[in-house]
Amino acid sequence: MEKKIGIYICECGPNIAEKIDIDKVINAVSSLEDVKVTKRYKLLCSMDGKKFLEEEIKKHNLTHLVIAACSPKQHEQTFMGVCENAGINPYLFQLANIREQCAWVTEDKGEATEKSIRLIKAAVRRVRHHSPLEKKEIECSPDVLVIGGGIAGIHISLQLASSNRKIYLVEKTSSLGGLITNFEKIFPGMQLTSDVIKQKIYAVQKNENIEVFTESEVEEILGFFGNFEVTVRRKIDDEIVKFNVGAVVVATGATLFDPKETSQYGYGKIDDVLTSIEFEKMNLSGKISLKNGEKPRSVAIIHCVGREKKGYCSKICCMYSFKFIRYLKEKIPDVKVSNFYSDLCIPGKSYQKFYEQTKGKNIDFVRSVDIKVTKKDNKLNIEYKNERGDKKNLLVDMVILSPAIEPREDASKLAEIIGISQDEKDFFAEEHEKLGPVSTSKEGVYIVGCAQGPKDISETLVQSEAAAGKILSSLIPGRKIEPEVKVSHISESFCIGCKTCISVCSYGAITFDEKRRISVVNEVICRGCGNCVAACPSGAATIKHFTFNQLYQELREAIQ
Amino acid sequence: MKEKRSHTDVLIIGAGIAGIEASLLLSEAGRKVHLVEKTSYTGGTVIKFEEVFSNMECSTCMVAPRQQELLQDKNINLLLLSEVEEVRGSAGDFTVKIHKKARYVDLDNCIGCNACFEPCPVSLKNEFEEGLSERKAIYIPCAGTLPNVPMIDTEHCLHFKGKNCKACQEACAFEAIDFDQKDEHLELKVGSIIVATGFNTFDPKQISDYGYGIFDDVYTAFEFERLYASNGPTGGDIVLKNGNTPKTVAIIHCVGRDKKGYCSAVCCLYSLKFNHYLKSKIPEIEISEFYRDLCIPGKSHQNFYEKMIKEIGTNMIHANDIKVTKHGEKMVVEYNNGDSKKSSLPVDMVILSPAIEPREDASKLAKILDIPLDEYGFFKEEDQDGFSVVTSKPGVFIIGGAQGPKNIQDSVSQAYAAVGKILSEQ
Repeated sequence: MEKKIGIYICECGPNIAEKIDIDKVINAVSSLEDVKVTKRYKLLCSMDGKKFLEEEIKKHNLTHLVIAACSPKQHEQTFMGVCENAGINPYLFQLANIREQCAWVTEDKGEATEKSIRLIKAAVRRVRHHSPLEKKEIECSPDVLVIGGGIAGIHISLQLASSNRKIYLVEKTSSLGGLITNFEKIFPGMQLTSDVIKQKIYAVQKNENIEVFTESEVEEILGFFGNFEVTVRRKIDDEIVKFNVGAVVVATGATLFDPKETSQYGYGKIDDVLTSIEFEKMNLSGKISLKNGEKPRSVAIIHCVGREKKGYCSKICCMYSFKFIRYLKEKIPDVKVSNFYSDLCIPGKSYQKFYEQTKGKNIDFVRSVDIKVTKKDNKLNIEYKNERGDKKNLLVDMVILSPAIEPREDASKLAEIIGISQDEKDFFAEEHEKLGPVSTSKEGVYIVGCAQGPKDISETLVQSEAAAGKILSSLIPGRKIEPEVKVSHISESFCIGCKTCISVCSYGAITFDEKRRISVVNEVICRGCGNCVAACPSGAATIKHFTFNQLYQELREAIQ
Repeated sequence: MKEKRSHTDVLIIGAGIAGIEASLLLSEAGRKVHLVEKTSYTGGTVIKFEEVFSNMECSTCMVAPRQQELLQDKNINLLLLSEVEEVRGSAGDFTVKIHKKARYVDLDNCIGCNACFEPCPVSLKNEFEEGLSERKAIYIPCAGTLPNVPMIDTEHCLHFKGKNCKACQEACAFEAIDFDQKDEHLELKVGSIIVATGFNTFDPKQISDYGYGIFDDVYTAFEFERLYASNGPTGGDIVLKNGNTPKTVAIIHCVGRDKKGYCSAVCCLYSLKFNHYLKSKIPEIEISEFYRDLCIPGKSHQNFYEKMIKEIGTNMIHANDIKVTKHGEKMVVEYNNGDSKKSSLPVDMVILSPAIEPREDASKLAKILDIPLDEYGFFKEEDQDGFSVVTSKPGVFIIGGAQGPKNIQDSVSQAYAAVGKILSEQ
């Protein structure tokens, strides 16, 4: 088909007109191949300017459009809209940035004009090699798979179910509730955990929109955002269940660092050295006692157990250690409690108050390092170095260790099944530290609660609500999803089957076709980042709208 | 009987990062959003930072695409220079009155060329730059603000003081300056309201021990952020008031913590970030951080701490009872260290990391919205667990720094959470 290219140069008031000899530019570019019309206009982004462009496109039957104006950040979308309104594919358009890249930065008018001519020539040459790209629409399922029946999974299931979504809630153990069912109370409000969780579990069980699979594990997840195919294995009868969902929420929680890994605390060897979760369970049973059945008269709580080994602060240990002081004081009012800590981490508006209100008679806070627990006579001997570096010791009846929060042992397996990445600490990795706190590199897969990193219950609930927000705004019954248009394409004839592209794709968009021995891009998953294009040794991978040829043609003209 | 109407539009107050993210997500869901912002620009506090911890990403590069999207989003009605005056009704049926002040510069006509600044004869301290540079009566707060359209400060503009000055109008080639623009009073119907009005920082002048406002080279964290910013008053050069480059710097944590009664959650981390700022500009710099308890919670922050401290060789001093005095040219940080020994350290520059506190107008807005504040003056979440976005008033949600001190990630999570609540409730 014959190409008819129109070039329109924006004066941008005095911004471009005064710094660039536009008439000279017109002279230099109007006779380029396929260029049918070259004009200047005072302000193309104005209402009048856009109308003018639409009329011009129609009047001259233009097939391609080149605009020389400002940065694409400013008005690329504007002019692509003009193209659509005037009936040409918006990808048959190129913007030459002669304001930010010439008029505003090049002092000499002659040089600025020369540079503008080159940029426009390059844009014209590039646009001649553009191909029209079409938006695609894909049907999607509004249903959701939630993995993990702890507080995070329960909370989001209830919220989504109340929006009439069908939820498949898959829990590995035989009951719902997760880690927090071991806690008597929740800090900082000290409300009874059972009041919170029992009601929620009951609500899940009677909700018709939620299908609960206990003692079950997700075995396979295929597909992509809007269209995941899930396989779940029920362990009890080894039955396989398959269903389709549009989104996946990973709420598998975390576990505690095993203090046996560091021998200094005597855990596992000396009686009456407990982990925090063991103490929670003991407290929940209603009786705090030593192995010999007696009540402890003195207790040491050791913070930061495993922190150095894990390489991060687990955020909640200081707070739950304070909660333990309250448990102890409620049940054994005259007990003496000593906290061995390195730094008190009590961020946010409600934690310091909790700490202040916990402090009191017979409660000590000892800033210390190099802590060691040994047995001495009938007591436990805590050896430590205080802030001056002096060696000290303290005899107590009971030791409670506050171990670090760590990822579940099966996190890697699940990450592989779902196709999401883990961070360097093995928690599931969020898409972006700031702007994608509950998203993952795989679109439609969300991470909430301690599976994403150590956090308290209220933060966990907020993350569940956040993931619900993401799901409810992107997966809407009846609405189709529009995947990225500028995606990667791997040429069947050039691909040598080395799989390099698969190893660099952050989105799991490329699979290997064993039959044909080539890599294949799933255009629905691809986000057009270009990693595969840069890595491909045979030049088989290209990004639509940024093909080698398009870039070469543009560059050739610009640096000629 | 008349059926009660339920509105699905949402009012969001505050166009910082939390308000922006909530707006964009609601728009994606097809909701109409009225985003009310007090200032003339979007981006809030985050755009004051050159880089953000812990990945040290360029802050404006991170936020600018989101701001651009916001400006182009047809579902979002951005109301700048606007404040909420009255709210009536209940969830699903709020009537909101908004006072939209005139900008005197047309958002559609202005192309952001800045030609109007130079001829303006008025010069004032630039509040955005913490008073470290000057601005004109027609101005944008700093290069790169979005929308890139100035406003006229009528309090200081000669034209609005009755003088015959039209310097900016004459310099504008786009007929964008309109002295006849009028304030508008709008009435909106919305179903839900999100409060995302952000936070302030504690004014260290309240504690004279730190020498802030007394000695030249005692800076607040925000002042130091702007000193490092490439679009800031010095173009990113870290210099003392006398123009010299500092060789020794003290960073003092927890400024105002005792007075406020809580830990502000982000100060340790941004103080650590300052190590990187200082070291990258002044490689031979000696830095001492005076801290009380190091609060670096979460999976990615200890790595950041170790990187900052170990690579840079910062002197971490666990200290109490800090006092800044001056001795000759130098400032002297006097302190009690861990074992209660009195010590002191002379430095060229002191940076204070002040507590996060509620905005000065939080109580006014709380009254308008009929929602409670907590004992510290932040908006109060319903169950007082410290993090929830739900208030005691159905249909009204609180997110970001307005609810309590927190980092960007947590603010964004709360923004999405409020959207989740709104989408599942209505």
